[in-house]
Amino acid sequence: MSLDMVMTDCGTMPYLRGCFFDIGSRCALSLANVRFHFEFEPYQINPQTDLAVIKPEMMKPYVWLQTSDDSIQQVEQEIAMFCPLICQEIIQKGMGSSKNCAICLPQQVSPAMLSLILDYCRFHQVPGRSNKERKSYDEKFVRIDTERLCELTSAADSLQLKPLVDLTSRALARIIEGKTPEEIRDIFHLPDDLTEEEKLEPLRNITADPRIRLLNRLYAKKRKELKERERSKNSEVEEHVDDRSVDDLLSFINGNDGDPKGVKTSKNKKKNRRKKEQQKNSSLKEVSELNKKEINGHDIRPRSSEAESISETSNLHNAEDDTSNPTPEFDDGYIDDEIDPALKEKLDRWDYFLTEFALLNRSYMNYCMPEEKAVE
Amino acid sequence: MGDVVGPDLISDLPQSIIESILVQLPIREAVRTSILSSKWRYKWASITQLEFDDKCVPFSNDREVVERSVVKFITTVLFLHQGPIHKFQITNWKLQNCPEIDQWILFLSRNNIKELVLELGEGEFFRIPSSLFNCRKLNRLELSRCELDPPHSFKGFLCLRSLNLHQVLISPDAVESLISRCPLLESLSLSYFDHLALTICAPNLKYLYLEGEFKDICLEDTPLLIEISIAMYMTDDIAEHFEQSSNCNFVKFFGGVPNLEKLVGLIYFTKYLSIGIDSVHISITYHNLETIELYQVNFEDTKEILVILHMITSSPNLKELQISGSSNIPVAVDAPDLDFWEKGCFSDSALNKLKIVKLSEMGGWRHEIEFIKYLLGRSPVLETLSIIPCVFDMENNLKMLIELVKCRRASSRAEVIFINE
Repeated sequence: MSLDMVMTDCGTMPYLRGCFFDIGSRCALSLANVRFHFEFEPYQINPQTDLAVIKPEMMKPYVWLQTSDDSIQQVEQEIAMFCPLICQEIIQKGMGSSKNCAICLPQQVSPAMLSLILDYCRFHQVPGRSNKERKSYDEKFVRIDTERLCELTSAADSLQLKPLVDLTSRALARIIEGKTPEEIRDIFHLPDDLTEEEKLEPLRNITADPRIRLLNRLYAKKRKELKERERSKNSEVEEHVDDRSVDDLLSFINGNDGDPKGVKTSKNKKKNRRKKEQQKNSSLKEVSELNKKEINGHDIRPRSSEAESISETSNLHNAEDDTSNPTPEFDDGYIDDEIDPALKEKLDRWDYFLTEFALLNRSYMNYCMPEEKAVE
Repeated sequence: MGDVVGPDLISDLPQSIIESILVQLPIREAVRTSILSSKWRYKWASITQLEFDDKCVPFSNDREVVERSVVKFITTVLFLHQGPIHKFQITNWKLQNCPEIDQWILFLSRNNIKELVLELGEGEFFRIPSSLFNCRKLNRLELSRCELDPPHSFKGFLCLRSLNLHQVLISPDAVESLISRCPLLESLSLSYFDHLALTICAPNLKYLYLEGEFKDICLEDTPLLIEISIAMYMTDDIAEHFEQSSNCNFVKFFGGVPNLEKLVGLIYFTKYLSIGIDSVHISITYHNLETIELYQVNFEDTKEILVILHMITSSPNLKELQISGSSNIPVAVDAPDLDFWEKGCFSDSALNKLKIVKLSEMGGWRHEIEFIKYLLGRSPVLETLSIIPCVFDMENNLKMLIELVKCRRASSRAEVIFINE
């Protein structure tokens, strides 16, 4: 029995649901390169024409899909056809009708992602749903962790399923909106690999402002410090102020059983440090967390080996030394008990000012577009 | 960076996805992504849609300060942007007549702009520069509170599909020629125009929205119109013009819109249509017209009622009807002309598809009651008829209800809902 299949223009109808065709009993019909295998009961024969409408439920062909891990699964054709890429593969290339010629899905589609995408398709291809229902389903659908959301966006894009791409990108936009850059970097695991200069320029003209250049240098040093500290950090990080002078530490290493919490610190140093701490704490109220960490990092050492803390102390000295170089107000070789307390006071205040300025600049940068005039 | 941090989740997604994410962020946040990481430094700079609204700069009570920062922000963004810009939108009420806008439009005209929306603030209207007319690919144009003056040599926007001019200063000839020179125009919206006698030649026009003090509206070449919404305001000039007019506006207006599906008329539109209506025999049929909404209909004027009746009877597929009366209390003390309802060709016609009727601002006046009777008696598939009275006077509403209860209903399923709150 010859069979004629009448199909409307599939190229423009990716969401094909039913077809008109002439019935026989079990038969295989081929249309161009497409092969469908059916088994169905003859019914609803319209005597006027030889065509009959086959209800989609009667025809449940399956299509074979191969995911990124090379596993092959069988999926209801109707649902898979919701994805333009799959539809194209079936109709134009005739793939998917058996395990041997399974449609090879793009690399971004893992079995887990395919399952999610098929759930989406399964819900949305039912015509009777109200807009409200669909919207509500969509809202729930994107409540997944960010990593899977990104994977899903990528997979949907590779299958050219635009409605799902729009939905997931909207969800990602909502995640990004309103967050500080640090938070965003944290969520998406972005490396913080821009220098301060790069972050500010070209949105702000920095060449004119020597304070910014100074700041950048200070920040670079501080960041390096932090990196080193993080590397040596173990899980028991305790934030505490290490008030030990270099002499104390050295004597500890050399055999004295000093109290590691620093009872024997010189009073002067302790007083100054605490003052600095207090000053800094007051300015911390409006600052984002990372800034806080950095500032505290100035004074706080995690529990680490003594050698490390010595090198850190000396690093700290170096950092502070650096601040002394560009500005004429600093004297060389500072932060030492022998320094004139009045000068030390001055230096502390300048340090405080710099960090305040940096904080203001940072948080300003974070939340709005900076104006050209310098922050006073 | 450290071992606790996982692989980068997002930076390597294709640019089309990044763009669709960035475009859904407020512009400020999108630009801010440039400090996230080195890969993100310029991702924002190639987005093709830029939208600046009231929130794009920090708030300040001083309008001048805000204007300066908005101008600076937009200029910086445009300067740093690379690639085509398809959509550019400013809806910022603090922004008024700034010379920088000229430069932005010039820049956009060189960047394949397709959609341009400029909604500026009150105050001196900004004069649109001639570089706008060089935007060959313009697909959608929306302007508010500007002054538009197309040059004589302007050949039209050949790709324009949607035009929306709101409170725009433009000469009537210029607007007519602008419309007729945009061959693909599908949607036209003109609001707050004064004293315009408008002729529209737009062979592809599907959606028309007009609001303003129009003297006359002539739809000369609009065969594909599907939806019309017109609000006509009245001035003394226009009232005089109406009185002296000898046209039949109904025929003139509806003559060329056979495919009409939805009609909305507000304020004096019904009055406009009523001019000359009793002198002509109307025989047009609107097979696709399914929704009619007429507001501020004066039921005292039998000519306006004629307009409604003509429209209803010329639309065999009408499904939904919404009529709102005017809230004026009738001045005439003489008995209303009830013969009007008996004679006339309307008594024979049936409204075979009418399902939903909403009547609001009903004062219970004689003609209104007769109209309701007419509807109830001739709508075999009517499902709901809701009535909202305009006068919350128990006695008056009671009278209305008594009359309604007497009405014969052609549809057994009809629900008459009287909303009395």
